[in-house]
Amino acid sequence: MTRKIRAAAAIALIGASALVAAGCSAGSDAAGGDGGKVTMTFWHNSTTGPGKAFWEKTVKDFEAKNPNVTIKIQAIQNEDLDGKLQTALNSGSAPDVFLQRGGGKMAAMVNAGQLMDISGSIGKTAKSEISDGAFGGYKQDGKTWAMPVDVNPEGIWYSQDLFKQAGIEGTPTTMDELNDDIQKLKDANIQPVAVGAKDAWPAAHWYYNFALRACSESTLTKTATDLKFTNSCWTQAGKDTKAFFDTKPFNDGYLTTAAQQGAGSSAGLVANHKAAMELMGAWDPGVISSLTPDGKPLADLGFFPFPEVSGGKGEPGSMMGAVDGYSCSAKAPKQACTDFLNYMTQKPVQEGYYKAFNAIPANKSAQSVVTEPYLKTVLESYNKAPFVSNYLDTVYGQNVGNALNTSVVNLLAGKGSVDDIVKTVNQAAAKG
Amino acid sequence: MTTSVTPRSPERSGDARPGTGRQQTGADGSPSAPARRARKGSDVRTRVEIAVLAGPATIMFVGFVILPVVLAAYYGFYKWQGYGTPTDFVGLGNYKIIFTDPDFRGVLFHNAFIVIGSLLVQGPIAIILALLLNQRIRGRGLIRVLIFLPYVISEVIVGTGWSLMLQSSGAVNDLLQAVGLGALRADWLSNPDIAIWTLLAIISWKYIGFAVILFLAGLQSIPEELFEAAQLDGASYWQIQRRITLPLLGPTLRIWAFLSIIGSLQLFDLVYIIWGQYIAATAGTSTMATYMVANGRMSGNYGYGNAVAVVIFLISLVVALVYQRFVLRRDTAGALTEKADR
Amino acid sequence: MTATASIVAPKRGRRPQDSGPVRRERNLGTYFIALLFILVCIGPVAYIVLGGFRSNSQITASPAGLPSPWQFDNYLSVLSSGVFWQQLGNSVIAAVTTTVGVVVLGLMVSFVIARYRFRGRDALYSLFAAGLMFPITVAITPLYLLVKDLGLTNSLAGVILPQVAFALPTTVIILVPFLRAIPDELEEAASIDGASRLGFFFRMVVPLSLPGVVTVGILAFIGSWNSYILPLFILNDASAYTLPLGVQAFSSQYSVDTARVLAFTSLSMIPALVFFAVFQRRIVGGLTGAVKG
Repeated sequence: MTRKIRAAAAIALIGASALVAAGCSAGSDAAGGDGGKVTMTFWHNSTTGPGKAFWEKTVKDFEAKNPNVTIKIQAIQNEDLDGKLQTALNSGSAPDVFLQRGGGKMAAMVNAGQLMDISGSIGKTAKSEISDGAFGGYKQDGKTWAMPVDVNPEGIWYSQDLFKQAGIEGTPTTMDELNDDIQKLKDANIQPVAVGAKDAWPAAHWYYNFALRACSESTLTKTATDLKFTNSCWTQAGKDTKAFFDTKPFNDGYLTTAAQQGAGSSAGLVANHKAAMELMGAWDPGVISSLTPDGKPLADLGFFPFPEVSGGKGEPGSMMGAVDGYSCSAKAPKQACTDFLNYMTQKPVQEGYYKAFNAIPANKSAQSVVTEPYLKTVLESYNKAPFVSNYLDTVYGQNVGNALNTSVVNLLAGKGSVDDIVKTVNQAAAKG
Repeated sequence: MTTSVTPRSPERSGDARPGTGRQQTGADGSPSAPARRARKGSDVRTRVEIAVLAGPATIMFVGFVILPVVLAAYYGFYKWQGYGTPTDFVGLGNYKIIFTDPDFRGVLFHNAFIVIGSLLVQGPIAIILALLLNQRIRGRGLIRVLIFLPYVISEVIVGTGWSLMLQSSGAVNDLLQAVGLGALRADWLSNPDIAIWTLLAIISWKYIGFAVILFLAGLQSIPEELFEAAQLDGASYWQIQRRITLPLLGPTLRIWAFLSIIGSLQLFDLVYIIWGQYIAATAGTSTMATYMVANGRMSGNYGYGNAVAVVIFLISLVVALVYQRFVLRRDTAGALTEKADR
Repeated sequence: MTATASIVAPKRGRRPQDSGPVRRERNLGTYFIALLFILVCIGPVAYIVLGGFRSNSQITASPAGLPSPWQFDNYLSVLSSGVFWQQLGNSVIAAVTTTVGVVVLGLMVSFVIARYRFRGRDALYSLFAAGLMFPITVAITPLYLLVKDLGLTNSLAGVILPQVAFALPTTVIILVPFLRAIPDELEEAASIDGASRLGFFFRMVVPLSLPGVVTVGILAFIGSWNSYILPLFILNDASAYTLPLGVQAFSSQYSVDTARVLAFTSLSMIPALVFFAVFQRRIVGGLTGAVKG
């Protein structure tokens, strides 16, 4: 008798435990109605340092102004964000506010009906103080799907001290000059370029920039829609990339160097003067400053735009760059969510953003507080650029983007050829 | 992990029954027929008992194990991004891409390398160690516990720890330098020529203790009398090992090899932790499972990912069936002593 | 020894080997090799544990050295962070529930397969045996979709239920022979005494099959504790993570802080090690018994 009861109790226990476990699980709470108490979940990618603190403060301030809104923050490692976000969106447990990269990745979300259309909810500040260009990256089908908070043009970040040490004067403006400088650095026993190839995209960014120089704007945008890499400029870009890789400019062990995590990452190498430069977006100063020995911004950090490459169809001065922004999920509480997005674009918040991330805020009036010389250089180049393209892996979507990144790493490691890049992306397009 | 148990026919008395020998139960076997039992007519009650007892497990199993694989076969015929219902039917299109993808061919090669490498590296070393440890030495229990330790730790922890140790500026290179073998220092994880050997070494480290324990168990089932008889006949130590021990260890060896092969085909955690989702292929360490995750879920290609899952399943199935038919069948065909099995 | 006794009581004693001068020499060599082997096995584990007691500058300066001085704040900061305990709790809930589920369901169905006779019994056994061909790695992609459709993503239930299901083939294969070896006389005696088949199950079978049950339970517990790919797919929210996911997330988030990562990693090893130390005799003995038969 007792055994029977015990067994029955055991079975009940499992059932109960499973239910309790299910109940105790965390997931994004269902958003409440627009009146009354509202809870939202917020995903961003600043897992450490002042960036993380900035978001915590911003959320607290917003909650103080909007007492019926509670926001749960989750900071997700940048490399994990896209995969997790896609999973969450597909499984119906999406966060309410989340980082939006734009491009093909955003297009996939729009096509699946996972984003909230915020065209009608853009506040006065955002409309007047953020350029149309910044919004441009987030428009699709005539509607706006995310609110920009910063602009991140890409270029080469370098240590002025190390350049001086190698006897380099000024900064290179052409590829040949860059190659010369790299040789000078090698002669001075300094690792010239850091690259976080473990995360794939940092190596691929070299390819993107070569493609930007080799291909015309219309080719780049056309490929975004038809995903066919048939134009000869893609092969040209591959050849240029391979030529550059063959000069072996990168740090030792680049294949297992992460981009942004830890002192051994490429950003960490630059931060600790173990490498002279890296190709990155304008978020890099912020990342570097969290990896310096004293945790403060790197004093001798400088910036120069990606050098020109002769013979290409791309317009000189074009830049790779992304806009960072935040989207609301289709199921988020509309009023609270758009209020939060608009709050992010307020001048004082944007100034705080700049101070925390050392990046260029989207709000033009907030840009006036930018003091660092390197950021001023970035702004100058950005304002002069005839064409700014989003990063190609974002433009072409996660599937093709991942394949593109990996094939460039293969090229870098000597395991693939230039033709393989085009072959791989075409194959990836077929898989999806 | 599976191990098979052979039940032995208990002595019976007083039951009039035609000879019911017990069949062996191998991993492929079906249970032998127990003796007829007197049924007191409550067939319905028996049926209810069967349903109640066997029901939950069967439902869970069919629901969570069989059904997904069937679904995988279904989804594999579509191009599908994972939300809504699949609508883009491509038939065998995904499979065509799989088998023409050079990455997948690389992956097959890596898996095969790991399968064969694990057998060749772990097997002989584990046998020798088991022979050595099969003596009455003090602290044998403690030794067994300590060598089994790596098996108990999760692959995540193993991967995290080893990847820290194997970095260019990590403990392994430092140790080599300290003992004067500085010339052997290498880029253990990034160098595509070395990386897969590093992987093989880490896997062997983790699972060799398990092999030793299994072999020890197998050794201990060999009757002492055989050794004594052989020694009386003047056989040397190595002759004994070669002629008696190894053949009698055969069934254990074959079971271990089976487990090792199946485990090697499914390798995922270690590779994913150490090399991440992007560069495993470049480093030469990608496996079928990491290929499936990288090309399927991480890229949003759920139709394709499911097709890869089906391919992995079929490969494992064929390997397992072939192995059981040709290798394990020998064990079920006859036993040398009353205690040997499978 | 009768079948039942030999299965029920796995041999604990070792048969003594001959001793003599040759043996003693071999013993020394054996000890040496055993020691070497143990060092290789334990070395990396020791590295992880000791690494937590060092500071980052120590690790950078001397990667393979010993702690000097011993730092305790890494371990303390991990132990005082809510994250670690939350993930530990999740792992415990998942592992315990999985183990209970596996043992109960597995025992029930193994009993049916072992001691009842009905059409389709062989098919049922083969069904479970075939489950060995369906490793969770293969099934994970469609399984994730299934769990998503059930609405169980991000919950421990979404991890527990599949784990129980996937542990059943091994359980059935281990338990069926155990249960079948229980002599019919016991069952007949029980039914003469008026107990039903179920009564026999609860009162005699369960205690007699305890060694097999313990082995199966331990395998299920360790399997659940160390499982990575399933929680990776199912659990998105950091607060629902189990320890393996937590280790990976922690190591990438704090990768600049190598010492702290090592501390976190070694602390997440400890429950598995403790469990193993407590049950090691059972585990090794159970494996031994299962292999020997």
